[in-house]
Amino acid sequence: MSSLHYDARMRLGPFEYDATFEADGEVVVLFGHSGAGKSLTLQATAGLLTPSEGHIEIAGRTVFDSASGVNLPPQERNTGYVVQELALFPHMTVLENVAFGVRGTRADRERKARALLERLGLEGYEDRAPGSLSGGQRQRVALARALAREVPLLLLDEPFSALDESLRRTLRAELLRLRADLGLTVVFVTHDLREAHLLADRLAVFDRGRILQFDRREEVFRHPVSRRVAELTGVSNVMAASVLARLEGAIEVDVDGLALRVADPVWRPAVGERVELALRAERINLRRGTPADLGEPNLVEAEVVEEHAYGAGHTLRFRPLGAGPHLEVDLPSRPYEVLGVQERRRWTLELPSEDLHVMRPSEGSTSTGG
Amino acid sequence: MELRSARADVIALSVVVVLGALFALYFVLPLAGLGARAASDGEVWELASSEAVRSALVLSLWTSTLSTVLAIVLGTPGAYWLARTNVRGRTALDALVDLPIVLPPTVAGVALLTAFGGQGLIGGPLAEATGIRLTFTAAAVVMAQFLVAAPFYVRAARSGFAAVDQQFERVAYTLGASRVETFLRITVPQARGALLAGVVLCWARALGELGATLIFAGSLEGRTRTMPLAIIDAFERTSLGLSGAVSMSLILLVVAFVVLVVFRLAMPGTSSR
Repeated sequence: MSSLHYDARMRLGPFEYDATFEADGEVVVLFGHSGAGKSLTLQATAGLLTPSEGHIEIAGRTVFDSASGVNLPPQERNTGYVVQELALFPHMTVLENVAFGVRGTRADRERKARALLERLGLEGYEDRAPGSLSGGQRQRVALARALAREVPLLLLDEPFSALDESLRRTLRAELLRLRADLGLTVVFVTHDLREAHLLADRLAVFDRGRILQFDRREEVFRHPVSRRVAELTGVSNVMAASVLARLEGAIEVDVDGLALRVADPVWRPAVGERVELALRAERINLRRGTPADLGEPNLVEAEVVEEHAYGAGHTLRFRPLGAGPHLEVDLPSRPYEVLGVQERRRWTLELPSEDLHVMRPSEGSTSTGG
Repeated sequence: MELRSARADVIALSVVVVLGALFALYFVLPLAGLGARAASDGEVWELASSEAVRSALVLSLWTSTLSTVLAIVLGTPGAYWLARTNVRGRTALDALVDLPIVLPPTVAGVALLTAFGGQGLIGGPLAEATGIRLTFTAAAVVMAQFLVAAPFYVRAARSGFAAVDQQFERVAYTLGASRVETFLRITVPQARGALLAGVVLCWARALGELGATLIFAGSLEGRTRTMPLAIIDAFERTSLGLSGAVSMSLILLVVAFVVLVVFRLAMPGTSSR
């Protein structure tokens, strides 16, 4: 019963908003840049904004339906909505904040609020003013206040964005534990790719008012449906390609004059069809020896033209010596040192055929193959 | 360099202190003058117990309080709406609310006459139909004060409400609180400082109201003669002369001061934080 069905359309300034997804006893992350329509989705779910068309169901109950004119007010939608600014009521104590939405006698309400505060490690802070708490504590109070009404659905709008990384990690773990304990459905908005990856069971990628892809997290990260999704989810290498041949369990494509084999493509384009190819920077291997010596497919000889060092690794930009695409490679510090990339600038890059992913070309081009 | 900047600090501080002292002195001197004059005349207590002054004081206190209550009751919804709306012409509406603050009170009095006077827009038909005449009654006193003073409350309340982030209200809705409950439990407490400041301003303005009252309600002893009108009257009549005006001014000042102090003590948070 703990579920959300969401389908809404409306006009949003310069672009059309059109989003459909569902959540069922899991964490669904709405991911995208700011202004992509993520927060709007939460507002429409909570009843703070009315779409012009659509159908929204929470825990089996229709809360919005444009066709039949159903539009329940936020008071009756049973959502726990935590906004980015938290909006803890500054003139109330922590306990009063948490008890605000609870129904029943004063004693009941306080008992429930105290129990929740204890669960979130805030015992002893009941009578404090929200303003006197640390960022992490305030975050927990906002969560407790949203949960106090025993809602089936938690809507979190970039809740951790103001906190430092170690605290975010703790709170994410806490959130996942709470979700499991209480059997909640959580819709979590973030523009942080790592956070999306850490929390999501399913992921909805938003861009300019639309959901470009909604799928299990691994599926979105490994098999983005388009160049845009690939870019948004951090794929550094997106290449235009055309299909050379359809083989058994694979296809062969041409990228800038280089023939590459793609194993188990998610879809089989026709020979000659234009496609796009995605390859994550961390999937590329550095090999010694020339492609001719090695005698394997999917190799390209290239040299480092640009290099950036990050805390945990290096990002290298390669230019092909012969035919082939420019490529970006992420290498952790240890292999970087062991291989001696600092000294040796020419490498043979291996683009593993099972990590190459074919996508349909962007916006309004050819019909799709079988 | 350090020495020079330290000296600059001392000079700046001296200037601030001198300016502050001049400012304070300017307000203290008239009060001191009133006190000294009243003491030398020695008529304050005699006058305070006279029927004319007593009735003027009572009239002033209840009319100004009623005007303020009316401003709160009638002005709060509008103030909240002004703080939250985005309608076109909002600026014009804001200015309209401010207008009575800018206008001379005598203009307000004349305007009231044209609307509610015996030959006024509403006043004429009202008198014809029911025989009720508003002019020269205590009701007219309240109407004059309300017109001049209520904008002070509405202005303060509007900015107080506007300063409360709407996000608080939206979250309260999702927590099951109705609009009215949200307004009373979330918005009003957060705007409390501004609302109380508005109440004080409105009441003080109503208490001091003179021009509009004189034109619309007249200065009938025991009926429409409030303290400010009684002071003018005493000043103009030779029988009491300046000393009468002095004594009544002092009485009004003391009463107003006591009321403001009691209000502040009863309503913590009145002084803006």
